[in-house]
Amino acid sequence: MKSNDTLERVANMIAEFRDIDAAAITGETTFEDLGFDSLDTVELVMAFEDKFGISIEVNQDLKTIGDVVDMIDKLVE
Amino acid sequence: MQDSICSLFGIRYPIFQGGMAWVANASLAGAVSEAGGLGIIAAANAPAGYVREEIHKLRGMTGKPFGVNIMLMSPYADEVAELVADEKVPVVTTGAGLPTKYMKKWIEAGIKVVPVVPSTGVARMVERAGACAVVAEGGESGGHIGELNTMALVPQVVDAVSIPVIAAGGIGDGRGVAAAFMLGAKGVQLGTRFLVAKECTIHRNYKNKVLAAKDIDTIVSGRRLGHPVRSLKNSFSRQFLKNEYDNTMTLEEMEAFGAGALRRAAVEGDEKNGCFMAGQISGLIKKEQTCAEIIEEIFAEAEKLLGSRIQ
Repeated sequence: MKSNDTLERVANMIAEFRDIDAAAITGETTFEDLGFDSLDTVELVMAFEDKFGISIEVNQDLKTIGDVVDMIDKLVE
Repeated sequence: MQDSICSLFGIRYPIFQGGMAWVANASLAGAVSEAGGLGIIAAANAPAGYVREEIHKLRGMTGKPFGVNIMLMSPYADEVAELVADEKVPVVTTGAGLPTKYMKKWIEAGIKVVPVVPSTGVARMVERAGACAVVAEGGESGGHIGELNTMALVPQVVDAVSIPVIAAGGIGDGRGVAAAFMLGAKGVQLGTRFLVAKECTIHRNYKNKVLAAKDIDTIVSGRRLGHPVRSLKNSFSRQFLKNEYDNTMTLEEMEAFGAGALRRAAVEGDEKNGCFMAGQISGLIKKEQTCAEIIEEIFAEAEKLLGSRIQ
C-alpha cells in the first residue's frame, strides 16, 4: 500500500472522528495538535486496527500521524 | 452468573481489594485473601525488591490467590513487570496507563491480567490483548481517577466487552455491591472501606479522618496537571489547589510539591501536609472491622437485596 493512500485514509478517518478538515492533516500533525488526549488516541488506534485489520501497539513512539501511517504500512505489507 | 469471577480467580467472594499505594501491603492483602476475596499488593512507586518482599510475606500468611497492582507510571514499572512473571503471581491488575506491552509475557507466565480501565476504548483494547477481566473504576473512587463515574461507566463497559467486568468507585456496602451487579458487573473492587480494616496498617490519623468524613469531604486536585487525584480535604489539598490555579508554580514545582504527600499521610499521619486519598463513599464508613467481617457483612446485605446467592 502506498504511503500517500494510507495518509489519506487515516486523515479521512480522523476527520470523521473529530470533525476536523482532512486536508489540514499531514504527516507532521501530532495527536496533541488535534486535541486528542490519551483516551481519544486509544479509540482512534482501535478504529485503525479494525479498518486495516492489524494490531497496533500504543506506545510513546506514536506521536504524529506520520508515525501511525508508517506503522500501518509496515503491518499491512 | 456471578459464579464467573469466583471460579475464574478461585476466590469465595467476587471482591477485589484495591491496590492502594502505601496502604495495600501484605498485612491487608493477605487478610483479604484469607477472608475469601482477592487481596492485592500495591507496587505503586516501589522497586521490585519491596514488592518481592511483600509477596513472600503474603505467601507466608495464606495459600489463597492474591494479586499485585502495577502502577504503570512508576519508574520501576518494567522491573516489577518482570518480577510478577518471575514470581508467578496469580493475578496482576494495572492502573495509570496501558499495560498491553507487558501482557504477552504475563499471559505466557500463566498470570490472569485484569487492567483497571477508565473507558470502553481501553477496555476493548486490553480485551484484544488477552485480559481475562477488567475493573471499570469510576471517579467516585479515591486516588487517581478517570473522567467517567461508576453509574455511567460500568454498563457501557459491560456492553463493550465480553470478558467479566468488576465495578469500582463509590461502593462501600451491600447496596453498592447489589447496584454494581444490576449494572452488569460480575464482581466489585473496594478501596476506601478497607482503609479502616483492622489489618490495614496505615497511621491512626488516616483512619480517623476516614471515619469522621462526611459525603462532601473529598476533593479532586491535579486536574490541571492531567492527573486528577481524589483525597480528603485538608490544608494540603487546599494549598495544592491554590498552587494549581493561581499560576505561581511550574508543572515541575507542582509535581515536587505533591511528591511524598501520600507517604506523609499513610506512614506519618501528617494531617497538615499529607495527602489522604479516599473515595466519596468515605462518609458512609463508620466502623473498624476485620477484613473477614467487612466482606461477610457486605455480601450478606447484597444477597438479601438481590434475593440470590453471590458465590
